[in-house]
Amino acid sequence: MQTESSLSRTQLRQDANRWLRTYGTFIGFLAMIVIFSLLRPGVFLSPNNLRNITEQVAILAIVATTMTVVMVVGDFDLSVGALASLSGVVVADLLIQGVGLWPAVLVALAVGAAAGLLNGLLVAYFGLSAFVATLATMTAFRGLSLFYTNGSTLFSGIPESFRLFGQSFTGPIPNSVLIMLGVLAATWFVLEQTTFGRRLYAVGGNAQASYLAGLNVRALRLSAFVISGLGAALAGVVLTSRLFSAHPTAGEPLMLNSIAAVFLGMTMFREGEPHVPGTFVGVLLLGVMSNGLNILQVNSYIQLVLTGAIILLAVLLSGLARRE
Amino acid sequence: MKHRLIHALLLVALVLSLAACTAVAPTAPAGEAGGAGQTKTVAVVTPYMANATTKYAIEQFEKYGKAKGWNVTVTDTNADFNLLVSRIEDAVTQKVDAIVLGMGDPAQMTKGLEAAQAAGIPVFGLDAGNGPGVVLNITSDNGQLGRETARYLAEAIGGKGNVVMFTHDPHPGVRARAEAAAAEFANYPEITVIEKKHIEVPGPVDFARSVTQDLLTAYPNDGDIAGIWAGWDEPALGATQAIEAAERSGIVVVGIDGTDFARAEIAKGGPFIASIAQDFDGMAKQLADIIEAYFNGEKPASDSVQIPGVMVTRE
Repeated sequence: MQTESSLSRTQLRQDANRWLRTYGTFIGFLAMIVIFSLLRPGVFLSPNNLRNITEQVAILAIVATTMTVVMVVGDFDLSVGALASLSGVVVADLLIQGVGLWPAVLVALAVGAAAGLLNGLLVAYFGLSAFVATLATMTAFRGLSLFYTNGSTLFSGIPESFRLFGQSFTGPIPNSVLIMLGVLAATWFVLEQTTFGRRLYAVGGNAQASYLAGLNVRALRLSAFVISGLGAALAGVVLTSRLFSAHPTAGEPLMLNSIAAVFLGMTMFREGEPHVPGTFVGVLLLGVMSNGLNILQVNSYIQLVLTGAIILLAVLLSGLARRE
Repeated sequence: MKHRLIHALLLVALVLSLAACTAVAPTAPAGEAGGAGQTKTVAVVTPYMANATTKYAIEQFEKYGKAKGWNVTVTDTNADFNLLVSRIEDAVTQKVDAIVLGMGDPAQMTKGLEAAQAAGIPVFGLDAGNGPGVVLNITSDNGQLGRETARYLAEAIGGKGNVVMFTHDPHPGVRARAEAAAAEFANYPEITVIEKKHIEVPGPVDFARSVTQDLLTAYPNDGDIAGIWAGWDEPALGATQAIEAAERSGIVVVGIDGTDFARAEIAKGGPFIASIAQDFDGMAKQLADIIEAYFNGEKPASDSVQIPGVMVTRE
């Protein structure tokens, strides 16, 4: 028999747990900002540095946001980094050959959509695991970029107008940040406010039940990969514009970082489900941490250790809180 | 039913692609057994012909070898080291007069090298490395590349100020460059290396660009940073772009490798002031001379020859 006070204590602990697992990572993120601002007052929170951070995370945010869609249906897309490189190479090459700005960008995006379609077909219709299928296409896309460029960097003859996506500003805001905000808003809207989005979540929750409920599970999973392919290609275009050159492996770091961001996001606000606001905070957390540690002049190797530790901590905290 | 059809199609595709690979796989022409006075056959084997630099070095070697009247064969295994061992063994079976490794780590092909050693066929490394049976390896002097670029940067900033180094120590070549550069900076009492940043690969340009942005924030005043030394050209490009985007003046950047994009940046007259090119043509030429001397009975004095690089500056 429980006394009233022990009951309320249990209740209190449950509330605290729920609160911790829902907001723990976000509180950690805010704490990080506070610590960086206190350690470097006037520098970390300066408008210039905040602009740097948003600009630094914009490309990763685009990839991570569309990666979220794939992870909502319960899959992965390991090919996004290689695909970003490939679309970057394609857009640069077309521009160098004299193709107009918008046609070149559209072709690069079409490459992304086609690649996503291929991934989706392999996973949803040929029944391959997403890990195996996208691991294979990642390797193939990387090979295509290297083959296309002969391993070299494309830079000579890119027209000035191409600075539009990764280097130009609209008012005080970098265009890359505007593109990121557009992708965030559109993806959030699709996932949260449309029937299509709710169906994607249903497939991720229980594919079998969704199928029995009459959803076209295959088409839904396929479409998630197409969205991810498009996002990767768009990121590749922005990256190539930012660097004003196309390197055949430039996009590769985006893959693991985007998955890490989605995982971080899954520990926030809503448990265990990928969602756009969480992913965005995850991306910001990674970006703020690397920027802040650079400004604090922390050793590069230690930065990597800290990044890994923070991801583990976030996931562990939300997992532990859930188990109780 | 549909699944069975898909499987059948996949199988056909697999068989076709395997067949295509087999058909493409190069068969090295049988070399004339090399007695004295006959045409010498030199077999070049490489895992990296797809790499533009490797391709250039090997083509130059082929040119110099043919000029000496040799029969030079080139075999590429497209990054497959297992196949590379087989190709070395093929060359041994054909009793070629010498084998040249085009830029592959000999440690990854020991079995083939031992076969060559057992057959008494000399192996030479063209920017490869040393290992069992490797008579001599010719390569760039990474120390000199680091030292020259560091000296150029030090002189460009008038021998004083704060310097940032972009490194990648896990790569032995880049590490040797950075160590030599740091030693060179130490010769200038008024130069301080304030930061040594590890640059991640792949994606070094964007990584270096972000790191540079952050460093410019951490060191906000003109004169806080006088120069950035990068262990290779990609991070130098990223640093240059960040400096230009932040409209900071008074910071110069040097890189290493003399890549085409670095040359283009240097020509623009921005912060990127110099790089240094590895002399692959010189390497190929000297290796051909060394092999010729070897055929004439002159054994090289050392198992390693280092070729200095050539500075690339705006002048």
